[in-house]
Amino acid sequence: MPSGRKLKEIFFETAIRASGVASIFIVGLIFFFLFKEGIMLFQTQKLSGFLFGKNWYPISEPGEFGILPLISGTILVTLGAAVLSVPLGIAAAIYIAEVAPPQSKEILKSGVELLAAIPSVVLGFIGIVTVVPWIKNTFHAPTGLTAFAGAVVLAFMAMPTIVSIAEDALYSVPKTYKEGAYALGATQWQTIWRVVLPAASSGIVAAVMLGIGRVVGETMAVMMVTGNSPSMPRGIFYPVRTLTATIAAEMGETVRGSDHYFSLFAIGIVLFVITFAVNMTADLVVHRKRK
Amino acid sequence: MAAPILLTESLNLFYGNFQALKNVNLSVAGRRITSIIGPSGCGKSTLLRVFNRMNDLVEGARVTGRVLLDGEDIYAPGTDLLSLRKKVGMVFQRPNPFPISVFENILFGLRVHQLAGKSKDRLREIVKESLESVLLWEDLKDRLNGLATNLSLEQQQRICIARLFVVRPEVLLMDEPCSALDPLATARIEELMQELKKNYTIVIVTHNMQQAARVSDDTGYMYLGELVEFGATQKIFTTPRDKRTEDYITGRAG
Repeated sequence: MPSGRKLKEIFFETAIRASGVASIFIVGLIFFFLFKEGIMLFQTQKLSGFLFGKNWYPISEPGEFGILPLISGTILVTLGAAVLSVPLGIAAAIYIAEVAPPQSKEILKSGVELLAAIPSVVLGFIGIVTVVPWIKNTFHAPTGLTAFAGAVVLAFMAMPTIVSIAEDALYSVPKTYKEGAYALGATQWQTIWRVVLPAASSGIVAAVMLGIGRVVGETMAVMMVTGNSPSMPRGIFYPVRTLTATIAAEMGETVRGSDHYFSLFAIGIVLFVITFAVNMTADLVVHRKRK
Repeated sequence: MAAPILLTESLNLFYGNFQALKNVNLSVAGRRITSIIGPSGCGKSTLLRVFNRMNDLVEGARVTGRVLLDGEDIYAPGTDLLSLRKKVGMVFQRPNPFPISVFENILFGLRVHQLAGKSKDRLREIVKESLESVLLWEDLKDRLNGLATNLSLEQQQRICIARLFVVRPEVLLMDEPCSALDPLATARIEELMQELKKNYTIVIVTHNMQQAARVSDDTGYMYLGELVEFGATQKIFTTPRDKRTEDYITGRAG
């Protein structure tokens, strides 16, 4: 007969293992249902037509399910957000980790955390009342609801991720590297540029990738400010629609079991593949560097 | 004894309210090896870091007195820290090559002082010379683009010494340069130091008395922030004048 302590041990071990297995199991189920529904689309549609078709007319008769405009919209918004948030985010991380005096460091860090805590719908709302009119007036666009507006708003969503992870990476660069550089007569900037950044590069790449992953998957804010136009984007100052926004906007009004319904799941698969690829790349970079 | 290259006059150093160096008067002669010995936490490393003003990086560190390098006070207002550190190179306790290639590690000093010319051949020549002077060229000539941080600890420490040469320093400060190395590697680094002393003035901090006795020409014994005794190594180890020095080198204290 096992003692009370032993029983307790067994109980906790089982409970912890069950939690671990459950999380994998749930992810597996999500996979399963996503693929089960998404794959049905290809009973009537060709894969190439789906991925490379330029027309998204899901409710015409017969419907057209080309998601190239949506993929392009996502890429455009994501790249735009990356161009804005990566340099800013890394620069902010460098300032917080290396340059800022201790007091302002704390203030800045909590500021960044606060930015991360803003719900995306609120960011979208702020985007509508500030960014959108600003774009309309500044660039004399017919509407401010554009890919660029999405990029600006999403840049703010990616920033906290990039800043906090990049800052951790910079912070964990051994002090001895910096000492070595200073002892050779390097200035602070030379030390940062030539020693600290290369030493933290894998962490910074991971930060950028996770930030981009967040941008790709973001829905609410981007749906509010990009103008919801599922046509091939003509440029950054035109309305677009992303993959995520399409699912969110159309899921409510589709007939269950229709091609339209299945096509939204298929978009889900595409999104999943993209974010998976981004995360895998980040992982690979981090692990290759560690070796 | 030749004219001193490094000289401290009533040097005091405070970390906040704690006095880490007490009235230190030391003179280091050119092209010799001067070792500073003493128990841990007695200000040896702090003294070494006075000479290239690395203590400036410590918040609350304050220095009084004078420190002369070639007759010039390096704590005088307006001293150019960057060129001071070019003249006075430092090797650390843990080898700390930068996580970049061997080639770029060696050239780091040139790059930060903007002395690197454009010619690739000339740069390779410089790298070759400085790696030769630490006897690494044969081992590494085919691995110049590999990460310096992947080398053995001894090789890393040699890289750290070699990267100082490119900016032509006068003084090499070594802060327990062998404490992370095994005895064989230590012996080889010590051999290298004998070679280097022909061209450089070396100040080495060590808690290893045998090492001080083996490599140095002059020795200073530090205890609780004071330079208790300073003189020719042989004299310090055979006929110390101060009781505290005697206790330490005979193993009764410390």
